[in-house]
Amino acid sequence: MPPKTNAVAPRAAEHDSARRIYITLAAIIGGVVSVYFLLVPVFKLNLAFHFYLMLWITMASAFNVASGFSGYMPFGYVAFYGVGAFTTAVLVQKLHFPVLVALPFSGIAGVVLGLLFAPTLRLSGIYFAIVSLALAGICRLIITNMPEEITGGSFGLHLGSRAEPVLSFYVMMLVMLLALGTFLWLSRSRLGKALRAVRDDAEAADMMGVNVVRVRLYGWLIAAFFPALCGGIEAWYTNVVDTETAFNTLTTAKTVIYAVAGGLGTVTGPIFGAFTMVWLDELIWRQFPRVNLLILGVATILVVLFLPRGIVGTLLRRRPQWRRYIP
Amino acid sequence: MGNLILNGLINGLIVGGVYALIGLSLTLLYGVLRIVNFAHGEFVIGGSFLAYVLFNSLGIPPLLALPIAAITFFAAGWLVYYVLIPRLAHSDDPEIMSFLMMYGLSIALAAVMLLIFEADSRSIDYAFTPISMKVGPIYVSTARIVAFGVTLAISAALAWFLYRTLPGKALRATIMNREAIQIVGVDVDKLSAFAFALATGLAGVTGVLIALVFPAFNAFSGAEYSIIGFIVVVLGGLGNPIGALIAGIIYGLAEQLATVFLPQALAQIVGFAILVGTILIRPTGILGWRVQR
Repeated sequence: MPPKTNAVAPRAAEHDSARRIYITLAAIIGGVVSVYFLLVPVFKLNLAFHFYLMLWITMASAFNVASGFSGYMPFGYVAFYGVGAFTTAVLVQKLHFPVLVALPFSGIAGVVLGLLFAPTLRLSGIYFAIVSLALAGICRLIITNMPEEITGGSFGLHLGSRAEPVLSFYVMMLVMLLALGTFLWLSRSRLGKALRAVRDDAEAADMMGVNVVRVRLYGWLIAAFFPALCGGIEAWYTNVVDTETAFNTLTTAKTVIYAVAGGLGTVTGPIFGAFTMVWLDELIWRQFPRVNLLILGVATILVVLFLPRGIVGTLLRRRPQWRRYIP
Repeated sequence: MGNLILNGLINGLIVGGVYALIGLSLTLLYGVLRIVNFAHGEFVIGGSFLAYVLFNSLGIPPLLALPIAAITFFAAGWLVYYVLIPRLAHSDDPEIMSFLMMYGLSIALAAVMLLIFEADSRSIDYAFTPISMKVGPIYVSTARIVAFGVTLAISAALAWFLYRTLPGKALRATIMNREAIQIVGVDVDKLSAFAFALATGLAGVTGVLIALVFPAFNAFSGAEYSIIGFIVVVLGGLGNPIGALIAGIIYGLAEQLATVFLPQALAQIVGFAILVGTILIRPTGILGWRVQR
């Protein structure tokens, strides 16, 4: 926004310099992370670990758009992921689409599902959470009970010999960068500000001329698009989909807890959260595979009790002046 | 066909009674603490496993396991309350954060039961004599009839407690207006701990009944019962004990009759659809009575 009078010029200059630092920081961090992930297959690092790291970063960040930005807690978030996974699998396996052509349809399927669920956006708090959970259950049951020729019933679908770990790794990376770019843009955009305004006080936002219903819907559709893509890519990467894993409630649990651990409402929070927790998961899982589930549960309780604002959220509360540079 | 429907009705009533108990304890919890207890189903299944252990290693029959489960789980609930709940008040949105925390507790409890009992389905090989009774033209297993009797007794005792005794009235008053009751001099913190313990104790007892009514249970059955509990609670109106009782019976009947007419999976979808439909169309539940905030 250009300064209108001289009186606001210093503030505008300060604003501009903050913006420059912010963009430089984002570019440097984004560049370093991209180069790192680009080199993972080249140096033959642990491909699966990094693939899932990117997947969880994308999932947690997308969840954050629904929860942190918009104020909803979709406890059935796995629905988008599962439907995305099955869209890619069915298109590839039954209609013989090339995988890269099928993947965008997963995203579209997520958006369509988001539109179907849109009437629930008028609910709030606990009601929304429970309804979302039930809708995910319905999605799972419908897909499980579809004719076996389409979705493979309870056995699931095998994608055959189409696995290309390295290529799917790079596609996942592309999707992650696209997602993070979108969320960075969103956090500074008109839409993002409108979303936060609606989250904090829908009536006041309405009075200010924000189209509450439309803003909520846009945020919701963005949050629905990316997990569906993740589901599709994961189906491609693992080469198999079945309803038990594609609609596993633990997927929702992990997404939520990674996002909360990092800090809802900030762009960097879910990234940090996913990064930290996936690392911990990897370290712990290797040691004690039997108690993995127990640790996830206990970690959830501990995060809610001791870190309800997440890593980044707590940091920003201590150092509010950093808010300018940390999105 | 007529017998099938009668069978569905009687079993629906029995199963519905169990669901009503689950809903009743959940709704008490929500009413008093504003917590939707995701881990409730795990407490319930915990009760089933307790009955299983008592019977298999000590030879204690399920009916005697009822009071043991009640006391054990009441104490456990009291403990869980003081460890977990007071800290929740620090977060920005306690209602949603408590839901998330209970989700974590549910995962943790299921994991513990999985570690102890493995993933196999368990059942209690306890048989009443005679093994089944004739109700009209059909046979119903004695275990189910006994379970129904216990359900009736517990519901009556709870109704008496909630509507005729001072602590019960205080609980109901807390559901209606949490602020006002503090002015009258009720220690809401203690009362909340009591409500949590009572609900958990009820869950444990319900678990023993489930071991009698249903053929089997395993470490992961808990989530199923939590969802059924949510359906019943929402149908009856959040925080409404009478509504939960009626809704539990209605849902049990609907579920059992649905399995007569519909394939199993479709019947499950009906349950979820009832939940979503009720919240979207009539969020105050069938009785249309809403908790005041």
